[in-house]
Amino acid sequence: MKYDVVVVGSGPAGSVTARFAAEAGAKVLIIERRAEVGVPVLCGEGIGQKVDAFHVLEGTRWIASKMDGARIFSPNGTKVTLAAEYAGSETGYVVYRDIFDQELARGAVKKGARLMLNTRAVGLLKKNGKIAGVQALHLNKTIDIEADVVVGADGVESRIGKWAGIQTTLKPHDLETCAQYTLANVDGTSPYCDFYLGKQIAPGGYVWVFPKGKDTVNVGIGVLASLSDSGKALRLLDKFIASHAELKSGQPLRLLSGADPVAEPIESIRDHLLLVGDAARHVDPITGGGLMLSIEGGKLAGETIGRAVEQQRFDQQFLSEYETKWKGAFGKKLHRNYVVKETLLDMEDKTLDMLADSLKDYKFEEFSTFSLIKALVTKHPSLLVKLTPLMKLARA
Amino acid sequence: MAKPKAYVQKDMCLACGGCISICPQDALLWISSKAEVNTVLCNSCSLCVKTCPIGAITWEGQ
Repeated sequence: MKYDVVVVGSGPAGSVTARFAAEAGAKVLIIERRAEVGVPVLCGEGIGQKVDAFHVLEGTRWIASKMDGARIFSPNGTKVTLAAEYAGSETGYVVYRDIFDQELARGAVKKGARLMLNTRAVGLLKKNGKIAGVQALHLNKTIDIEADVVVGADGVESRIGKWAGIQTTLKPHDLETCAQYTLANVDGTSPYCDFYLGKQIAPGGYVWVFPKGKDTVNVGIGVLASLSDSGKALRLLDKFIASHAELKSGQPLRLLSGADPVAEPIESIRDHLLLVGDAARHVDPITGGGLMLSIEGGKLAGETIGRAVEQQRFDQQFLSEYETKWKGAFGKKLHRNYVVKETLLDMEDKTLDMLADSLKDYKFEEFSTFSLIKALVTKHPSLLVKLTPLMKLARA
Repeated sequence: MAKPKAYVQKDMCLACGGCISICPQDALLWISSKAEVNTVLCNSCSLCVKTCPIGAITWEGQ
């Protein structure tokens, strides 16, 4: 079997990369180790409405509900509302990730990509010392898939990057370990995504409640792996649900676990190889959200691969166009948010409560860094010291 | 006596891949869509045990 591109993994990053590479004329194969695209779901299922601008999803079957904003609850329960109309921030969707992923894969296939299920990459093929495809197990048979470009879209646990010599092992400090229930028999009609902070609630992470419409919600938790012990995420999630009257009546339709990199991005290219999505650590270190970045990065990767195939240039130097472009699009934001994550992790619950108290009446329509800082320190001057690292960042 | 090795209880594993992403020994891998420990590589560091959100990883013999 010989292709221009083999994409390992049929999640959003893999499918979108495949779509744009195929559209540019490349002969693309996606391999997926599981028996169904998008299943099992491993995600909170939230994404900004900016996704519409990429035109990679048809219809509305993948949308569970539309969100108007977010509410953040500090450890003592102080609520800060970030309504879209005030915050100038984007509104969002809660999605059905299985349908969402299948729609993205369908889009790639429609542009000419091929898709093989039950196919697990077990190693890289090499020719004259250069990467020349992947070796895979397909229904327990070993097959060689030759390709000029290998795309590692193989998630947080990426092997492709590791086999190519990229340091992909995450430190416990840079991984959120997650559990989530989809609960029925609760009110799922709120227009807000809710986030709950606090060391007792979710050490080094947060609890989220995303309404899915009608009588279902996703309620999930992320705990920083360095602050976790066996089964802690699920135990704390059960405790949270038991202590919230509006969730207590819920019955689980689904339990899932998740692992979310909250790290700085890593190298994303080698000769004949690119990493995309979670495998490239294209995840916002504050929220743990990576859907949008996977689509944004996947598009850039697919376009670069299209040009590479056209010019038959597969060296790292040529492929670096992809790295330059994603760094330009969101590299700075990822670095900045990593520093913010570190600052937030150092904060005591008391500090978070003070922050929330200062912000609860803040009119986000007047949003400017100066007015925000003024609002913060007028009420609680001691916040000035705690926020110094962020001020430095704002000036940089 | 040798230290016990990490052990994945397969019927509890929900296949998130967290343990695989964090193992410094690359001792965890996918077998039939569940995580599994290669006991030759496992050095009993306990990172995967602590990381599993569901508590599906324990120690051999437990």
